[in-house]
Amino acid sequence: MTLLVQTVILGLLVGGVYALMSSGFSLVFGVMRIINLAHGAMIVLAAFLSWWVWDRTGIDPLLVGVIITPVMYVVGRVLYRLVIARVHRIDHELAMVASFGVAIAAGGVMALIWGTEVRSATPSYFNTSFQLGSVVIPQAQLYAFAGALAILGALYGLLRGTFLGRAIRACSENRDSAALVGIEVERTMAQMFAIGAATTGFGGAALSVIYQFVPDSHYVWIGRILCVVILGGLGSLLGAALGAAILGLGEALTSSYVDTRWATAVPYILIIVILLVRPQGLLGGKLRADGARA
Amino acid sequence: MIEFENVRAGYGGGDVLQGVTLTVERAAITCVVGPNGAGKSTLLRVLSGLLRPSAGTILLDGKPVHALSPAEVLAAGVAQVPQQGGLFGNLTVRDNMLLGGYLIRSERGRLKKRLDELAEAFPVITTRAHDKAADLSGGQRRIVEFARALVTNPSVVLLDEPTLGLDPKTCEVVFESTQTMNELGVTVLMVEQNVRFGLKLAHHGVVMERGQVLFAAPADELLARPDMAALFFGAAPETSHPEGGL
Repeated sequence: MTLLVQTVILGLLVGGVYALMSSGFSLVFGVMRIINLAHGAMIVLAAFLSWWVWDRTGIDPLLVGVIITPVMYVVGRVLYRLVIARVHRIDHELAMVASFGVAIAAGGVMALIWGTEVRSATPSYFNTSFQLGSVVIPQAQLYAFAGALAILGALYGLLRGTFLGRAIRACSENRDSAALVGIEVERTMAQMFAIGAATTGFGGAALSVIYQFVPDSHYVWIGRILCVVILGGLGSLLGAALGAAILGLGEALTSSYVDTRWATAVPYILIIVILLVRPQGLLGGKLRADGARA
Repeated sequence: MIEFENVRAGYGGGDVLQGVTLTVERAAITCVVGPNGAGKSTLLRVLSGLLRPSAGTILLDGKPVHALSPAEVLAAGVAQVPQQGGLFGNLTVRDNMLLGGYLIRSERGRLKKRLDELAEAFPVITTRAHDKAADLSGGQRRIVEFARALVTNPSVVLLDEPTLGLDPKTCEVVFESTQTMNELGVTVLMVEQNVRFGLKLAHHGVVMERGQVLFAAPADELLARPDMAALFFGAAPETSHPEGGL
């Protein structure tokens, strides 16, 4: 019983981080209908930046994650302006291909800068845990989960309670109508894409503490993210949170009760199962990026 | 006064507007009628900035507006209520109204005052404030759209097919709301498939066909013309619109 409780807690903690990592991807798809395959590369870039600053200065990598969030926002703005906006005008499906090209190029650049060795940030609490009876809660996972939850809460508040959030939600429904109330649609799209990129800041920092990574890890992470959003329903933030929790639990349960090696197959098995059983995802078609029912 | 001068515009497959020249009077209701594909909605889209004309000029009180973005056109005092689906269905009525004031969002006091004023004129804004717009009836949606268009206090309101898909009773509400807007000094330029309804409501009528203006005259004159009746009014009975007798 203890093992089950322990496994569920670990799965949910990791699921919270997956939810944050997937939220930006889901937001961009929900509003722009773009499958941004560069999202995984942005997460790995944020992981490298967090690890690198921690390695050079000793500043807590999760704290670095908060600091680099605006940096990733700028990365998102630049990527949108130089690549996504241009190809999106031609054909929005082309934007997916272009984003994959960006991911490959980013992987190469990261390898040139930081090499191909396996990296991981190991702050003082890296191997320490809280003990709750017989259940052990790793500090790194707990802090990452708490940070992810706080950022997801802020993202939800932004979408629900600010003019920018309302404008983003309006653009996701009807761009012409959004323009007619005075929203500058193109500018709002750029801001929204950049906010999606900004969520990778803390997501990448959490990755650097919880997992090992190399430049090519973005392939693994975009796979996980796709699993989360396909599972939950493309474009739904609430669906992404649900998908993330299921994936986190699935991986943890598989590691505990089957074999650790099989855990890496869980995202792909889940993708196949959900596409066969419910291709629109668990909450797909019922919820939009803003969390509201369609 | 709005002046269209030889305006041409289209969507890539040729020009829909084939050189429109038209003057819309201030503080009046002008109704544009004509068959499908005549370019009526396109005329509104070029004025609101959703579509950039390929040639010609549009002047609002003597100032060119044909090269402005929709936000700039709105700031110049022209608001459009689109044909259908203008409200954001997944947002609440309150959020929709707030978005109506997007341009004045930094002026909190002014925005709140304006929303309070509109809530008095259109009570549904308050009674259904926290409901999603998608949950409103067709008539309620139209009223909220009208109210939302008025948040920035525009001098011109463009109505694209305001009665489309509405039952006769709701058409009456639209009729009255449009008159109320006009009595407040707002210039109304509307496109309407229901020709009798539109011309009964309007001071001026414009007949378009194949991207050009065929006739522009006082609405009652157009209504009385036998050739107009034969061309565009069909055999619709005079009483097709309840109470208003349209």
